[in-house]
Amino acid sequence: MNIKDFFRYWRTILTVTEMTLRHQMNDSFVLFGILVQPILIAVMALYMLKDSAANAAMFIVVGSGLTGLWTTQVFASGNSITQERWQGTLESLVGVPTPLGMIIFGKNLANVTLSLLSMIVSYLLAALLFGYSLSVDQPLLFFPSLVLSMVGFICFGMTMAPLFVMYRSVQQWQNTMEYPVFILAGFLFPILLLPNWTIPISYLLPPYWAAVAMHGTSTGNASVEQTLFAWGMLILFSILDLLIASRLFKVMLYKARVEATLDVQ
Amino acid sequence: MKTITSNLRIFWEGTIFSYIALFGWLRPVTYLATKIIGPLMQMFFFTLLGTFATGTENAHFFVIGNAVQIAALSGIYGVTMSIGGERWSGTLVYLFGAPANRMMMFFGRAFMHIIDGALGVVIAFAWGVLLLNLDLSQTNLPALGLTILVTTLSTCGLGLLMGCLSLITANVGFVNNTVYFLLLIFSGANVDISVLPSWMQAISNVLPLTRGIASARALIDGAEMAEVLPLLAIELGIGLVYGLMGYFLFKWVEISAKRRGTLETI
Repeated sequence: MNIKDFFRYWRTILTVTEMTLRHQMNDSFVLFGILVQPILIAVMALYMLKDSAANAAMFIVVGSGLTGLWTTQVFASGNSITQERWQGTLESLVGVPTPLGMIIFGKNLANVTLSLLSMIVSYLLAALLFGYSLSVDQPLLFFPSLVLSMVGFICFGMTMAPLFVMYRSVQQWQNTMEYPVFILAGFLFPILLLPNWTIPISYLLPPYWAAVAMHGTSTGNASVEQTLFAWGMLILFSILDLLIASRLFKVMLYKARVEATLDVQ
Repeated sequence: MKTITSNLRIFWEGTIFSYIALFGWLRPVTYLATKIIGPLMQMFFFTLLGTFATGTENAHFFVIGNAVQIAALSGIYGVTMSIGGERWSGTLVYLFGAPANRMMMFFGRAFMHIIDGALGVVIAFAWGVLLLNLDLSQTNLPALGLTILVTTLSTCGLGLLMGCLSLITANVGFVNNTVYFLLLIFSGANVDISVLPSWMQAISNVLPLTRGIASARALIDGAEMAEVLPLLAIELGIGLVYGLMGYFLFKWVEISAKRRGTLETI
């Protein structure tokens, strides 16, 4: 997997994205993570923050949307290779000339794009059902933040998928991976509430920088310098994640071919 | 006498084997992740969100609410899978073909989850005391134990009903997850029920957990057993009603599936 592959296989990536989008729209588990869970978290947060909800509504909309993004990341993107194994299509995908990494990139692009729905639905909920007046404070900075966050999530997902398929012990913790990141990334409350020793862990998480950029630009609480720094961190982590993912894909394919355990559950 | 012994054996064997079958695929680390670390993380998240929203002085409101709500993990997911798993593993045909007492067979599916769920709530309270400064010094502990047991039992009643739904819908995961999250709102675990609109309060009043959580909060604030007994009686009654609804649905599914030949094609 290298940069040239993205230009060479862009049609494949888009086709995989389209097919994954169609498939995921019929998956009730994915729809729960994208639509129902963020809505229910938003409802809960809006009631919990009822005294300050008018000011915090945009923060809650973005935060609950980010929870949907992360849930999709853990379960859909994390399982993007494992799912092929369950369906018996992994051998075929490994056998085609297109690098597996490009196919998984297309799948993750679809998952992350679809999970943007969670933010839109949370927005509609807060605006229509709760009647809050919502506006993005810095739209010119918010939309690049959104795009860079999506890229950050996709690249992070690229490292998770081979890890989940190679190391079952990691996948066993899948169900417990949601809340720690909700907490450490500061999706719905500032990380200043957490003990000091957890702060460096937050800094190592791309979702944290996505939350900094998106909360900061949607509520107007971040300076341009702070937003630019968050963008820089998102770009840096995206490059690092792609490099790590490239190595992990090589190891995974080597192990699969040498040990011949590609489809062994 | 022979019938009673036979029914008890069916109840006990159904209890043990369904539980072993459900968790047979789990390694200890998976159990640890799902039943111990996962609930702790959920408690942390909602307690931090709650204290961010309402102040640190209210932390115990969220710790107690989320600790008791852990009962739904076994009550909803565990019990549902014990019943729905029969369909997925292809054993429903044999289950419905067996000349066993249906009531024993049905309620036996929930028994271990009541114990497991109650243990999960106790662990959650232990996390609360150890990590979140929950103070139990004023608490009548036997009454809190009874509250945990009754609440888990009533939640398993709802789980039995949900389990039967898993026999008539393919989207049981979606339904279970939704119900679990709805309980987080409607049971009062994270939102004071008095701030909810009246239609939401009406729903809260007919759900398990609501009175169990209220009872646990009252006991931890220093209330005596006698003060919470009425709450627990209603909580138990609600659980029994859901359990019986589940049982009758189970019977209906059996009759309907046999009549239409749709036992595994629903």
